[in-house]
Amino acid sequence: MANVHNWQIGREMNYPYEAAFPKRQFAFVFNINRCIACQSCTMACKSTWTFNKGQEHMWWANVETKPYGGYPQFWDMKTLELLEKANPGAQNWSGKPGADKKQPYGKFDGITVFEAQKMLTPDSARVLGYLPTDEEWNSPNIYEDNPVGKKGVRGELDKEGVELPEHKTWFFYLARICNHCSYPACLAACPRKAIYKRPEDGIVLIDQEQCRGYRKCVEACPYKKTMYRGNTRVSEKCIACYPRVEGKDPETGGQPMETRCMTACIGQIRMQGLVKMNRDGSWTEDRYNPLYYMIHVAKVALPLYPQFGTSPNGFYIPPRWVPRDYLRQMFGPGVDEAIERYTYPDRELLAVLQLFRRSNRIIFRYQIKEGPKVYEATLRGRKITLYNDTVIAYGQDGKEIFRTTIDEPLHVRPGKHANSI
Amino acid sequence: MKPRHFIFLAAVLSASALAGCGKKEPPVSEAEVKAVFEKSLPSTVDDKVWERVPAHPAKLLLQDMVEPRLLQASTPFVRVQSVTDGRKVAFLLTWKDATLDDVPGPALFGDACAVQLPATTAADVPAPQMGEDGKTVEITYWSAIFQASVNGRKDDIHALYPRAAVDHYPFEAPSLKAGSPPQQEMAKRYAPARGAENPMAGPRTVPVQDLLADGPGTIRFAEKTVSSGSGKYSGGGWTVLLVRPLPNGAQPGGRTQVAFAVWEGSRQEVGARKMRTAWIPLSLGSAQ
Repeated sequence: MANVHNWQIGREMNYPYEAAFPKRQFAFVFNINRCIACQSCTMACKSTWTFNKGQEHMWWANVETKPYGGYPQFWDMKTLELLEKANPGAQNWSGKPGADKKQPYGKFDGITVFEAQKMLTPDSARVLGYLPTDEEWNSPNIYEDNPVGKKGVRGELDKEGVELPEHKTWFFYLARICNHCSYPACLAACPRKAIYKRPEDGIVLIDQEQCRGYRKCVEACPYKKTMYRGNTRVSEKCIACYPRVEGKDPETGGQPMETRCMTACIGQIRMQGLVKMNRDGSWTEDRYNPLYYMIHVAKVALPLYPQFGTSPNGFYIPPRWVPRDYLRQMFGPGVDEAIERYTYPDRELLAVLQLFRRSNRIIFRYQIKEGPKVYEATLRGRKITLYNDTVIAYGQDGKEIFRTTIDEPLHVRPGKHANSI
Repeated sequence: MKPRHFIFLAAVLSASALAGCGKKEPPVSEAEVKAVFEKSLPSTVDDKVWERVPAHPAKLLLQDMVEPRLLQASTPFVRVQSVTDGRKVAFLLTWKDATLDDVPGPALFGDACAVQLPATTAADVPAPQMGEDGKTVEITYWSAIFQASVNGRKDDIHALYPRAAVDHYPFEAPSLKAGSPPQQEMAKRYAPARGAENPMAGPRTVPVQDLLADGPGTIRFAEKTVSSGSGKYSGGGWTVLLVRPLPNGAQPGGRTQVAFAVWEGSRQEVGARKMRTAWIPLSLGSAQ
């Protein structure tokens, strides 16, 4: 095992291979506060990549309802339980979120999926994991949003669940794709070295020519985003729509384009990009890249289960209304600061949040032109001021992709077109 | 008799019982696998010739040397018989298996077996576990999942879940004539392993694969599969016939080494997680 630095857990950790980082890394931010689980992303992916025979159970992109749901069922709870079993009572963080780029969320003192040595025998020698059953893959979203009754009371809904205005129950939608991790567990587990991480963009792929369907990757991936296909006898996974990221789609004239699941997002929760990487695995300072800004400057977007240790490149703006303990378990200790920033965004963050889904092209840089003050009020006892700033997005070629304002233009439908579509 | 010997004898007797009721039991060859010379090779697992070909009871060991390892023993031994016609060599592998595992699913693994020979017959044999750098081994791999496919089971979800409902596959649209080149092309386009000509993906005409390896973790597909075989599950066990060319340098009347492996699907054995033998001497009969 090599010793590598994982900035998301703020320490060195064991990994089966020496660290090697791409020039640029595929990364994304999902703003959970906006997700309505319309499943447009899910269907965009399904109808592009996984509609063939043998892929019936595959959803490379999915949206699940937390805390009840999961695809495959209970994927995160099962891995958390395995880690807890391997290191009882000690899966904790120390320190505090701070300015240190090597440990922006503090330090995780527990063990990662690569470090649970006592649990790694006899079945899995490199990565702690489990193989979901067929049934766990087969019914995504089942029972997730269904109203239910109290345990043991049949034929009656739980009356507390509908009390308003105070919500005693809570849930949120978690949209997921492969995180194209910097330390992929799937890659680490493959005994055939049939999984690789592309040096140009960090996209993790299974070599369809070499895979023999052993499913060590399925067992190892803590996010369960590699999937076995029975009729070709090999495993498949999210390919990050790499032809689009490479700029091969004719729509963008050679410029990098976001994935299908991103561009189909009608809730405008998703932004995907390519970020520059240093040779040590840290992100190159790129102050006006919107992903760099949200993750490393505003720190409003956080990795999903950083304690797993794979250094995922999917980041989430955590939902404001969810109990903090649950969120800290899911996104690490940076949650409180992230929610504070998102709830009371400053001028720059508010402008950057307008960049989501105005274009299908990958944004490499943004610029803000200040506008006039348009609103002033008090929100939860705090004074807030809105300015109608303009934010301009630039592509890889340095050319402007679009510009948009904080105050969106208001169009009123003329009376004669009322009730028409 | 020492207890260890007693267990071994019990295993041999039990293997013999697998040959089937009413069939004549073959003689036993304990020290080596004897490939008996026959003018023509048996083409089925039920061929009468197997009644007189000596059977070697090969003890299976845990593959616990390299990761991912198997640490709980499953199949204890495999009975091996062999016939050669001077150009090819046939192996008949018989082992007990209480469960028939031949359906591919996300968490379902198939029963399988394999025969391994040094690619070149020489005094200095490769390491028994998948060979070593510069000393290639040739492996003929049989899979129950492949066998079911060859036997005619369709590769679709209904093999797994007979009552599954499928709305529509775009490549089976009425506008595309079934089996036509455009329809086949479209079906293949979204089966990347098939498009990449990965031999795992089929379409399958034989239930075996020819593989090469130069050490653990290096297994690769041979340029072409020239071996053949067939497997049959009955009486609580498998009988599998594997027929392959004699390896480079192996001559009728000569000797080489052979090794075997068995995977128990119900225990999720796959890849390196298998029961295997060490090298076993293989004597090749000749017409003389």
